Amino acid sequence: MFENIYAWLMRLYPSRFREEYGEEILQLFRDRARDEKGFYRRLRLWLDLVADLAISVPREYYYFEPELIGASADQRLGGLPSFVVIEGGSPRPEALLSGGVLTMLVLSTCSIFLSQAGHYTPRRTFNAASSQGHRYRDSSALGGQPSPSDSEVGNGTSQFGRSVVSGRALRAGEASNSEAEAFPPDSSESSQPQTQRPEGAGNLGMTSASKVDATERSHVIHAAVANLKQYYVYPEIAQKTSDALLAHEKNGDYDAVKEGGEFAALLTKQMRDTSQDMHLDVLYSQEPLPEHPLGAIPENLERYREYIEHNNCTFEKAEILPHNIGYLKLNSFPDLSVCEATARAEMNRVNDAAAIIVDLRENRGGDPDMVMLLASYLFDHPEYMYNPRENTTQQCWTRSPIPGNKLADKPVYILTSRLTSSAAEHFSYDLKMLKRTTLVGETTSGAAHSGVFHRIDEHFGIGIPETKPINPFSKSDWAVVGVEPDMKVNAADALDAAIKLAQAKLQKK
Amino acid sequence: MPKQKLNPLPSAAFQILLALVDEDLHGYGIMRQVEDQTDGRTRLGPGTLYSSIRTLLEAKLIEEVDVPTDARPGSERRRYYRLTSAGRKLVRSEAERIADLLRVARSKRILRGAHV
Repeated sequence: MFENIYAWLMRLYPSRFREEYGEEILQLFRDRARDEKGFYRRLRLWLDLVADLAISVPREYYYFEPELIGASADQRLGGLPSFVVIEGGSPRPEALLSGGVLTMLVLSTCSIFLSQAGHYTPRRTFNAASSQGHRYRDSSALGGQPSPSDSEVGNGTSQFGRSVVSGRALRAGEASNSEAEAFPPDSSESSQPQTQRPEGAGNLGMTSASKVDATERSHVIHAAVANLKQYYVYPEIAQKTSDALLAHEKNGDYDAVKEGGEFAALLTKQMRDTSQDMHLDVLYSQEPLPEHPLGAIPENLERYREYIEHNNCTFEKAEILPHNIGYLKLNSFPDLSVCEATARAEMNRVNDAAAIIVDLRENRGGDPDMVMLLASYLFDHPEYMYNPRENTTQQCWTRSPIPGNKLADKPVYILTSRLTSSAAEHFSYDLKMLKRTTLVGETTSGAAHSGVFHRIDEHFGIGIPETKPINPFSKSDWAVVGVEPDMKVNAADALDAAIKLAQAKLQKK
Repeated sequence: MPKQKLNPLPSAAFQILLALVDEDLHGYGIMRQVEDQTDGRTRLGPGTLYSSIRTLLEAKLIEEVDVPTDARPGSERRRYYRLTSAGRKLVRSEAERIADLLRVARSKRILRGAHV
């Protein structure tokens, strides 16, 4: 039996060596086995044999290697791939059979995994709070309307206006947008200001298959600290926040965190706890973050233009309802440079209404300049509109009065849902704070983030506020918590509720 | 030219050459002789042994002998190996090199014993 075992182990040698000395080697084994009996000597024999195999097998393969290299080099002289025959004889039938079975097994395993992958929809962790701000001008401006070209079109939007968001984050933002449609949010999360919240229509959740190791954790922490110190608008808070992160790292608080999304959420929470700034966030994207802005591609810009114009600049409806109630359904705040004429035309269509309902239930944001233009119709004098993304400048004042506009003194109702995000929240929040509207519907998504995106690596980035906007209305804004409606009803019932409110108001007059 | 280098001469190759100085031996005989001449410290494994033998054959330092003079009647047919004149010359020069080393070592009082 021992001889059979050793004969089997001899297959480790190259066949040429076996052919040449196989029988001699086996004879030597027999001789030793015959002479070396007893437990100790037999054990020593096997130790010798194993050690000998470990040393001599690699050496024998190395011995044949120069021949192979030489043969390949000769063949490659012609510039063509070469195929070198190592063995002289044809393979044994059992070798062919086992090779065939092994190949089938490998192929079957691969195909099973591939088919599983096909059913798996990665819940791209564009960390809820993170993507909210960063996609302020991304594809959400399209109102999330299903379109095969949404993502690319979205890229183009960042090119317009004074974007505070780096286009580098847009691709991930788009991912979250498409995800948003697939995963309706859980409204219960809206009451948790320091956790990841659903963004737009989507609870982006955390990605399960996104491991981070100690090296990457350390890299992200130190990059976050460096970015904070360099860019955060409040240096003292930057220092304090950085110290807190480093202290957490020193304490080993991150050692147990193995997933990228979880790690980003933890860092975000700790930064916010220390800074009390809800606009700071670390984001994680399972999709590789592009190194350079995508929005600057002229082709994308042109496609955005075509798309948005084809869709009436996302003004889905502008009509007069019974009782002369104007109804404006706007699914994004499209770029002003493309859609100003359309926006003005649509506003004119409801200009004679006695009250106006602005439906933002499917509006996930867009261009703040468009926010300012539409808000301008609701005042007869310039009014300050707080925007967490902008320093306080002239841009923060409405262009009121607008010549020929009759809506400045009409009751305004804004319909909201938990999908209402970003620029749509900007519009809702400011008009609510200015007591110029009645919000009807659900608490909005809380996508206020004003941070400028800084890419840390392929999967992590950090959003850091670089502006000092003045909020005259309250200490905090809608970041994370969303905008609370004045009248809380299900989004589906909001239009009816607003119509009733408007009718009641108009009847009193 | 052998594909495996013999300069410097590997320890296993030198031991094999040394084992063949007195008589022609087959593989197992060589292994035993090496074990004896090293006081049991070196037991050449089969792979190492035949790998070295092949190299020495290619270098024409040893040669195969079909029927050795001392082959016992009835024993299995084995390949026996014999030292060639080149092999004998090489083993002598290698032994002298080692002897020189020994002299140096002794002169530095690293080793004790009679002058070599």
